[in-house]
Amino acid sequence: MTKELEHKFVGDLEQNQNIVHKVCRIYTNNQDAHNDLFQEISIQLWKAYPKFRGEAKFSTWMYRVALNTAITLYRKSKRTIKTQDFDSVLYKIESSEYDDTEEEQLKVLYKAIHHLSDIEKALIFLYLEDKNYREIAETMGITEVNARVKMNRVKNKLKKILNP
Amino acid sequence: MDQLELLKKDWKKQEGSLPKLSREDISKLIHKKSSSIVKWIFIISVLELIIPYIPYLFIDYSKNTEFAKEFGLSSFFIIFSAIFYIVIIYFIFRFYKNYKSISANSNSKELMQNIIKTRRAVKHYIWFNLGMIPLMASILFYKIFNSTEFLEKLPEETSMTSVWLLAFIFILITVALLWLFYRLLYGILLNKLRSNYKELISNGVD
Repeated sequence: MTKELEHKFVGDLEQNQNIVHKVCRIYTNNQDAHNDLFQEISIQLWKAYPKFRGEAKFSTWMYRVALNTAITLYRKSKRTIKTQDFDSVLYKIESSEYDDTEEEQLKVLYKAIHHLSDIEKALIFLYLEDKNYREIAETMGITEVNARVKMNRVKNKLKKILNP
Repeated sequence: MDQLELLKKDWKKQEGSLPKLSREDISKLIHKKSSSIVKWIFIISVLELIIPYIPYLFIDYSKNTEFAKEFGLSSFFIIFSAIFYIVIIYFIFRFYKNYKSISANSNSKELMQNIIKTRRAVKHYIWFNLGMIPLMASILFYKIFNSTEFLEKLPEETSMTSVWLLAFIFILITVALLWLFYRLLYGILLNKLRSNYKELISNGVD
């Protein structure tokens, strides 16, 4: 039975692994850290799997467990390189040869996302994944109103970085 | 185009460049050791629950009862032991119940709440133990300071006020040090989680 369950789980995870990789992209900024977080999320998914009753879609459930791991359960390994703080990024954007091309804008945005708080990262991630406010609220356990307020704040924060 | 929409479009484009793990890779991964904070919370909490009782393992009970009898503390010790055992059983039960409720299947808020609740059970237990130290020590010191044996050994000119003052300073320092140590441990484990939790529930809407 356990082997059967494991077989099914591994198949499901293999098919939906993009979700986990994307969470890792948001929360880490180098390959080692990415792999580390991917491993921990996979372990947590497997541990939580027996309790997954199929009430929600497998992918919906994955978003929840993956974000819980990234925000709360995961303890960063020592290998993770410490990122510079938020202010220094802002400073860089103001002072350096700021290019207005789309590519440059995207670069700055991705960089800025890495300096958001864990909660803000989750919000932006769910926005990028096209989740509606009901789903965001359910995943995070907050009201839709709070989800909206928070989302607007993060979006404004990112926009400010792009247009100082 | 809105810059964030641009980002969303690019985010979707990036899906193609994501790593692709095989079933074999994933099978291996899920059996590796977890580095989850919950594991550490469990280990440290169990240690915290046990440590206050370790000294009892090294106490020679025959000597202890003799000592208690000598100072007329027999019934006092029996009552306190009974209270201690009831309290420790209560806290272990509370800790276990909260610990079991920690699940990655919960939503973010619930998960954080359950972890905080689990630690809260341990925190109250520590408070109880720290509170017991001055109480127990005061009673003990009172009995000792009033025993003829002690009074005989005490130099003539020593005032009892200074003896008590020293005793209180000693108790205070012990409790303060233990408290500081505990706060440090608590901080290391939960600081990040607590600030995330505060941020999540802020705005007063939830």
